[in-house]
Amino acid sequence: MKIIRITSFIIIILISNYSCNNVPENKSFGKLELVFSHSVYADTFNYVNEAGNRFMISEIQYFVSDIKLYTDSKDTIVLDKYKDIHYVDTDIPDSWTYNLDDSIAIGKYNKVSFTFGINEKKNISRRFVNPPESFMFWPEFLGGGYHYMKLNGKWLDSFDHPKVFNFHLGIGQNYDENGNIISFEQNYFEIELESDDLVIVEGKLTQLQVLMQVENWFNSPNVWDFNYYGGKIMQNQKAISLACENGHDVFLLKSVAYKDLN
Amino acid sequence: MKLNSYTLLFAFWALIIMGLVSCQKQNIEEPVTYNTTAYDFEIPYGFPTMLNIPDDNPITVEGVELGRYLFYDGRLSGRTNPDEQLSCSSCHQQQYAFEAGIENPNFKNGHPRGFNGEQTHHVTLPLMNLIWNNSAYGWNGNVFKGNNNGNLNNIEDIVRVSFMAENEIGTDTTTVVEVLNSIDEYQKLFEKAFGSSKITFKNVERAIAQFVRTLVSSNSKFDRYLRGEEQLTQSEMNGYVLFTTEEGADCFHCHGGGGNPLFTTHLFYNNGKESTFTDEFDRLFISGDPMDRGAYKATSLRNIKYQAPYMHDGRFKTLEEVIDMYSHSVLITPVVNPLMHHANTNGVQLTPQEKTDLLNFLYSLTDEDFINDPRFAKPNIMPGE
Repeated sequence: MKIIRITSFIIIILISNYSCNNVPENKSFGKLELVFSHSVYADTFNYVNEAGNRFMISEIQYFVSDIKLYTDSKDTIVLDKYKDIHYVDTDIPDSWTYNLDDSIAIGKYNKVSFTFGINEKKNISRRFVNPPESFMFWPEFLGGGYHYMKLNGKWLDSFDHPKVFNFHLGIGQNYDENGNIISFEQNYFEIELESDDLVIVEGKLTQLQVLMQVENWFNSPNVWDFNYYGGKIMQNQKAISLACENGHDVFLLKSVAYKDLN
Repeated sequence: MKLNSYTLLFAFWALIIMGLVSCQKQNIEEPVTYNTTAYDFEIPYGFPTMLNIPDDNPITVEGVELGRYLFYDGRLSGRTNPDEQLSCSSCHQQQYAFEAGIENPNFKNGHPRGFNGEQTHHVTLPLMNLIWNNSAYGWNGNVFKGNNNGNLNNIEDIVRVSFMAENEIGTDTTTVVEVLNSIDEYQKLFEKAFGSSKITFKNVERAIAQFVRTLVSSNSKFDRYLRGEEQLTQSEMNGYVLFTTEEGADCFHCHGGGGNPLFTTHLFYNNGKESTFTDEFDRLFISGDPMDRGAYKATSLRNIKYQAPYMHDGRFKTLEEVIDMYSHSVLITPVVNPLMHHANTNGVQLTPQEKTDLLNFLYSLTDEDFINDPRFAKPNIMPGE
């Protein structure tokens, strides 16, 4: 009888705590979020790339996924395992912040990485049915899934006439001499951002300010001449491949801040 | 003694369970006191799961039934002469995908005129699949959630504006309520839908909005193709490839496709159809962004066959004219949307065969079930008749 009473009491205490959602925050953990910003974003021809093209950007929309943290001892922590894919849209301020739900062990980390785009296991058509993500679909004929990025804008051609461009990245295609698609190419790539200040602090939110240096898409290692590549590249794997090579250094970890968790 | 222990234990558990139940109830609102039947809304394959249903206007069977009557009832305009009576259905006819229709004998070239004889600013937009529009309504998006003008947020507000605008139904809320009060059956219908026979214009808005949200088109040939139930012809398939490729016609970036079966983004684009802009009610009027000059909503291409005339001002009478414009007459201007990259070459330059294929694909978006669905048609007998 005594055992029953004691057991009941313990169960009651456990249920009471659980049901009232009063589990105290484990103070040996902290949180992480990435805040994306974009260096070039204006509706005027204020920017000049290495090829000498004056250009402007209207909007940038892209996916990042597979975010990971790395310790000095080479341990890798996979974050946001369930949602896993984040959409960023320059027209949607809420999307600029990628808030990770994970409780992360406190300590020093040396880098964070993410996939630019979505890997082939996850880049499946109709994965997203709701906008804005669903608006990013990449046509089935061209490989399916979703755009890694839509970056739209205008440039001034050799005669200073405005032209429009869609710098869209995603699954590429290889064509035979008759123009038939014979295979597809995955073009997603990894971004690694290192910092000595990358520390997860007890009871704090570590906020990483990540800047997309938009001009880098057009400068190095491949000089991008809009007059050569024109206004569309979704069906030009060579162009997508060069663009993705340029993408490796577009992101910069600008700063790290620490905020109190609510 | 043994019995007492068990009794005490039972009482203790009972108290805890009661406590838990009461704790869970804290945030639950009091249930409504009248009985309505939740509308069984089925989300078609591939369609969004995020629905635009306001918290204060859930869709009910009774509300939809009432809304359907109200949608079609010209008496609400307060005029007895049948030629002067106007209802929502005057400009939104099922046979034209709930647009006015270019063959509508009441409107020249399919551009509606209201009670005062003046044309509406723009031609009508179709009423279909609006339950998935979480962006903005109207050609320029003047009705949207979060609007600083709290009177222009959702479909309910469009109902009110349409009743009151002189170049639409042209009546007032008092007249509408008086007419409804004079018809006993309406009082019963309002009581069933909203729990009170006291008729308010707010509930008129709600009921019509509920009905409009049920206008779902999801059974075109293309839908059946996506569901694996039917094959497209070779020409339709060629058209689909053109529709969804940059080197083809590249319609999909603004108008959707397999990954966005609404066939619209509900967003706003200057599509390069003109280089001088005279309409003051374009997207710029709403957003204040100079780059939105001459920009309008990319309409849904579902049932596009029935949506003539085309563009915000109804400038094109046929789909062939629309395709010709996108093929050969796209103008590059400082405000043309970057997605219109074919403006660099004045258009997508389709061959005659490609135009035919694209047209055939667009026709595959026709949903005859929607056009003929008796649930959306005018009721055979209206209240009080």
